[in-house]
Amino acid sequence: MSFTFDNQRPTATVVRSLHPLVIERPRSPVHIHSYGGETPFFEGLGQGRLMATRCDNPACTEAGAAGYLFCPPRVHCPDCLERMTWVDITDGPARTAKVHTHICVLHPGAFNRLPTPSKLISVEMEGVITTLMSHMRVGVPVIGMELEPVFNTSSPTFTILDLSWRQRRAR
Amino acid sequence: MIRFSERNLAPPKQMRPVYAVAAGQSDFRKRYPGKKTEELAIEAFRMLALENGLKVESVQELRSYIHSAYYGHFADHFGDQLLGEAQIHDRLGLDPLANAGIKTGGATGGSTVWMAANAVASGYSDCVLALGWERMDEVDTRTGNHYIAAAADRDFETELGHTYTGYYALMAQRYWNTLGGASEAFRHTLSKIAVKQRGYAWSNPFAQTHQRITVEDVERSPFIADPLRFYDACLMSVGAAAVLLCDEETAYKLSDDPIRLFVAAGSHTLRAADRRPIDIPLLPHERNDAAILQQYRDLYGDGKERFPGYTGFLAARMAAHYAYGMTGITNPIEELDMVELHDAFTISDVQTYEDIGLRPYGSGADFIESGDAYHTNPLTGLPGRCPGNVSGGLLGTMHAIGATGIMQVNEILWQLQGKWAHFHDRPELWERFGKTRPDDIEDLQIRGARRGMAVSHAGVGSHVTCAVLSRPEAILK
Repeated sequence: MSFTFDNQRPTATVVRSLHPLVIERPRSPVHIHSYGGETPFFEGLGQGRLMATRCDNPACTEAGAAGYLFCPPRVHCPDCLERMTWVDITDGPARTAKVHTHICVLHPGAFNRLPTPSKLISVEMEGVITTLMSHMRVGVPVIGMELEPVFNTSSPTFTILDLSWRQRRAR
Repeated sequence: MIRFSERNLAPPKQMRPVYAVAAGQSDFRKRYPGKKTEELAIEAFRMLALENGLKVESVQELRSYIHSAYYGHFADHFGDQLLGEAQIHDRLGLDPLANAGIKTGGATGGSTVWMAANAVASGYSDCVLALGWERMDEVDTRTGNHYIAAAADRDFETELGHTYTGYYALMAQRYWNTLGGASEAFRHTLSKIAVKQRGYAWSNPFAQTHQRITVEDVERSPFIADPLRFYDACLMSVGAAAVLLCDEETAYKLSDDPIRLFVAAGSHTLRAADRRPIDIPLLPHERNDAAILQQYRDLYGDGKERFPGYTGFLAARMAAHYAYGMTGITNPIEELDMVELHDAFTISDVQTYEDIGLRPYGSGADFIESGDAYHTNPLTGLPGRCPGNVSGGLLGTMHAIGATGIMQVNEILWQLQGKWAHFHDRPELWERFGKTRPDDIEDLQIRGARRGMAVSHAGVGSHVTCAVLSRPEAILK
């Protein structure tokens, strides 16, 4: 049952039922969110660059000693907690990208901005110890498919959606 | 951390024994507009106090034993109420005793029991209440999915689909195509899990759903995130659950049949993306098993597959390592008589069989296909070796997040006390929840059960607790 009081008045409340009494509590807050030290990653996407981080601390016995890259990036090394070095991997590891796993989302949650159905992928890259979650706007992903990055530089959203991937073209 | 010291891996200690004594819960529903959260919490507490055969005359008398309280409530934004712990505590009449809220995503219920057990084990309190709840019906399902997806990395993951089913589908796809052999048989195994759990929920008066489904129903249900379908995913629920934990002296003052409780926990990254490959931490029964070690070399050797990657949960493996170290369990399939696992999705049930050592990595499907996971083995008609989720689990009975891990502990407690029928087959209980007891209710008491383990799990494996319950005469160490 839906029963509406006079909603023109500032104190008006939408009542969904009377027994039990169920009302609506409307809200539409805006969060003011900062990327902080991870800004170079999201700024880079809109400029056509994929940025990763690497621990260059010679005293680090784990990530620093191994020399691998993190993408998603971390501001601080998870092992020695020193600040990491930003590395542009657009023309390097990103050119070795492959589909690690993939899905097709048919029923996304609220606030989704991708077209439905959307093809989500996890991306593995040589020299990168992590796998990056992302999406493909064109093509059908399969595990092992070779990829190249596509950047939204024309009207960046400054979110992870500015990066997508497509099957790598033969060079 | 990718390397562990002996100190890191040391078995957790309880400074004195902890006992689970009594349990209670509300029924669980998709929407529960007829009752406020506080009312549901009181129903759970009243059941705990008055329907477990405790040696007390009233709620007031039981309250005189309680020294502190631990509350599990995951998602403030769902119920639109911050600091609900204070409300619940007041409504239960427990002010001014100490209380604390615990929040670890899907593992909130398990972590609440963990913190409560630690309060008893340390000597801080002789008698504690662990109570959890969730109210997930104030928003529509799409908004609910977004809220839950905010428990993925908000910057790097949530924007990609706003649905946790998607994040588990990524794991399902990888598992299916690597360890699952890309076979149709693996799809059928997942479907059998969906059918099994909902079949047990049929006989559970607390359950949100009472639905008989078939493998064909599962495989015809719509994709939410391909390859996971509607029936591969758990419920979203409203409800509350409570368990009372005590030291030995108090436990036997209150009950003639308290059950020993051990709880351990592990963790891993919020982002599945960040899982760095490591060698599999071996459980006791795996260390000298040549066949298992060869299987791991075949599956993971030379970088063929990453561990934990998208196929395993390191947090669950670590929680099991600690729990087995605490309890002296050396081979879980031999020493556990039942498990309640966090079957948020059919795929995570399979992954957990492997993480906790019921089967080696890569062989999880066999736990279902062998019939070991059933109350009654469908292949032999004999009792299953280690029945899983006879409560109906998250797929069939409930996932009211803060209550879920407590519900799992409750079901094992009642099983080990031989009280399954009292809490599932009483017509009065079905009537209380506005339901008709089905004529074909299945007797799911696990006869002779000595030990069981509840696994509570968050995120894509960020927090996991393993709660081992044991009859006192069956303690292993």
